[in-house]
Amino acid sequence: MEGSQYPKGDFREPLPLIGPGHSFRSITDKLTSVVLTKHTPKAWFATVAVGFLLFNGFLIAVTYLLFKGIGIWGTNIPVGWAFPIINFVWWIGIGHAGTLISAILLLFKQDWRTSINRFAEAMTLFAVMCAAIFPVIHTGRPWLAAYWLFPYPNAMTIWPNFRSPLIWDVFAVSTYGLVSALFWYIGLVPDMATFRDTAKHPLLKKFYGVLSLGWRGSARHWARYEHAYLLLAGLSTPLVLSVHTVVSFDFAVGIVPGWHATIFPPYFVAGAIYDGFAMVLTLAIPLRKMYHLEDFITMRHIENMAKVMLATGLVCIYGYACEAFFGWYSGNEYERFLVANRTYFGPYAWSYWVLILCNFLVPQMMWSKRMRRNVWALFTAAMFVNVGMWLERFVIIVTSLHRDFLPSSWEMYRPTIWDFSTFFGTVGLFVTLMFVFVRVLPMISVFEMRTLAPDARVKSSEGGAH
Amino acid sequence: MTFDEQTATNLLGARPVQEIARARSRSLLLGVVGLVFCGIGLAVKGQTFWQSYLIAFYFWNGLTIGSMAVLMVHHLSGGGWGMVARRIWEAATRTLPLNAVLFLPIWMARTTLYPWMRPGATSDPVIAAKTLYLNVPFFTLRAVAYFAIWGTIIYFLNKWSREQDENPPMLPGPQDRRFRLLSGPCLVVYVLTITFMSVDWVMSLDPHWYSTIYGIITLGGQGLSALAFTILVLSFLAKFPPMSEVLGADQIHDLAKLMFAFVMLWAYFQVSQLIIVWSGNLPEEIPFYLERLQGIWAPISIVVLLCEFVLPFLLLLSRSLKRNPQRVKWVALLLLVARAIDVTWMIAPAPDFHRTGSTLSWVDFAVLIGMGGIWLTYFWSNLAGRALVPAKDPYFKEALAHGGH
Repeated sequence: MEGSQYPKGDFREPLPLIGPGHSFRSITDKLTSVVLTKHTPKAWFATVAVGFLLFNGFLIAVTYLLFKGIGIWGTNIPVGWAFPIINFVWWIGIGHAGTLISAILLLFKQDWRTSINRFAEAMTLFAVMCAAIFPVIHTGRPWLAAYWLFPYPNAMTIWPNFRSPLIWDVFAVSTYGLVSALFWYIGLVPDMATFRDTAKHPLLKKFYGVLSLGWRGSARHWARYEHAYLLLAGLSTPLVLSVHTVVSFDFAVGIVPGWHATIFPPYFVAGAIYDGFAMVLTLAIPLRKMYHLEDFITMRHIENMAKVMLATGLVCIYGYACEAFFGWYSGNEYERFLVANRTYFGPYAWSYWVLILCNFLVPQMMWSKRMRRNVWALFTAAMFVNVGMWLERFVIIVTSLHRDFLPSSWEMYRPTIWDFSTFFGTVGLFVTLMFVFVRVLPMISVFEMRTLAPDARVKSSEGGAH
Repeated sequence: MTFDEQTATNLLGARPVQEIARARSRSLLLGVVGLVFCGIGLAVKGQTFWQSYLIAFYFWNGLTIGSMAVLMVHHLSGGGWGMVARRIWEAATRTLPLNAVLFLPIWMARTTLYPWMRPGATSDPVIAAKTLYLNVPFFTLRAVAYFAIWGTIIYFLNKWSREQDENPPMLPGPQDRRFRLLSGPCLVVYVLTITFMSVDWVMSLDPHWYSTIYGIITLGGQGLSALAFTILVLSFLAKFPPMSEVLGADQIHDLAKLMFAFVMLWAYFQVSQLIIVWSGNLPEEIPFYLERLQGIWAPISIVVLLCEFVLPFLLLLSRSLKRNPQRVKWVALLLLVARAIDVTWMIAPAPDFHRTGSTLSWVDFAVLIGMGGIWLTYFWSNLAGRALVPAKDPYFKEALAHGGH
């Protein structure tokens, strides 16, 4: 294949996927040196320090929670579902970009996924971990979580309600976590072998050697690997839809106005992908700078992610519009009250408009190609979306609950310092895990990047098979 | 295939005129026979005829608008699958004037169709609460706006496409960029018009009922109809030049995969609505399903499930089937029939029709076929009127070269 498939100077011509002048050697050297070096960037220490500090706040908050119970939180009737579920949904949503990038884009043969899939998958794993914390601790008695969550024959013959999406959640999320972990690890195996062969220190050699599961790179290994990877991608694909669909059912199957909307499943899925891509950009833009990876995470990747964000964001906005319109159109007193309360006269109306600012107004700048290629602008937009998507769940959950059907049960919800320290603690945990991952494992798939090098192209077109 | 100006001109010139003309006369015959039965239906059934009419209109208009949507998606994303199908979509979108004319009887029969338009309807407090949206002038204005918006989009996409055929330079530039510049924002507009259209024309048949996912279900259904129709027409055209020269297994495979995706999406949207409404079991929502689980509609619900999801899902899993236009066309035909049943299922069981006994009648099918015959006649004329492949599109060559591997 000589040059680009598009005529010269074509506006449709994509930016390159990999910087010029790279060979197999230079890609391997660059990507392994990020890990196998004694020089850690100062910014890395600074970020991990902040993350770890926040995580310690989390540990304190949870310890106190175990002593005192959930009375330390702002959660109370009628807002019986607050921070834990907001944070749970937010984290689960963030994970979705990883699965979309690794599975769906693989099936769609989108080669731009290659340099971002590894750390997006890691992000998925860590996000699921952070999410899973909340269902376990939300009662303040995690030692009882086993029989609340899992259906197993117990001495009290108490079973979870199988018609409840909360129990579907347990299966959806644990399947999701498991498949994501497998997918991520299988993708890592060939790179672990590269690291084993590149590492100098005997202990490191041992460490990566064990992780590489005896990979020797024979043709048979590769054939099986490709097979397994494709199968796992096929298995992961429905998970992108199913997990957040079930999460949306947590709300939608109830009859609370503001929760009971049939648009919820697709709208939650789109929101999850929106949020997930925002988080990928939030991580990719600084990491790219910190480790000088501009040749690997090119403007093409950044721009494509911006496009995905724009599209899924618009679906989200469509969801808000439908909620508002049909809330009114229903002619139902409670539905209409909710819409008016949420958007206009309610005490939380500010949160709705901040949400509109973050998720709707600011991200519209991504219609412009110039903005999509400006990392500063995109980073800002991504941060707005991160906040906006958290607020979206806040708006859905808190504004729907704080005005009960009976005005005598109306009450405000005020999160306490323990709510915040738990939430920011999981952010700290996430950041810490992400940066430790970047430090000890290849954040960009080394062997897949090699397939993008010009050397690989020459061979494949000579062989006539690609 | 070496591709140059001459090849492009040859491709543009090649057209199976006779075969298309034969298809058109058959469609016309079908339409005329169908219209005769429509006349009988109108005479015999009186008011319930209009419900059958709405079903047929909604189905065929869905093909026009669905084709417009897929066409815009193609302009945004590119690819060989769209290059081979583009002229089919354009021909389908150019039937819009017919649809606009066909809508007029619905407007005239509006009080028969829509309970909220009848005198005294506002004594119902729920309807009274919605009069800001559900009132005749606004309803009319919206209908005009939908046709005006779709008409504008369709006019420009077709005009620019014709200009591509006529102008010799095959270079990319502002002329091609405008397709994209229009399609991006107009897809957003399209989604909004479809949502409100589905509320106006179908959801308001039962003015008490509402579902926020309704617009998306309509959207998925239209996309599915359009893709199934495309594959059917392509399988017919594939036998003659120019399509026999450019249509490869890869393009049909991509289109079939897309249709497969829409089968799953449609089922996903429908099951989402079902689970949520069933769990909530609210008096204003659940009647939708209760009506559709009574009498003849219970087996029809099963038929919709089987023919629009289960069977096509299982069949389309096969790769070799998806790559062979002469095999995948049967699945497309099944899906198109299932879509027609689905539209009937969406509209006919609505309460408040002056019907006695079964709410399904033979007139439903007569109008569907009669109107379809006319629509198809128009479609075939449109298709024969222009080149069947946009051979002078600057991306045509590249898009099809991709089919090689």
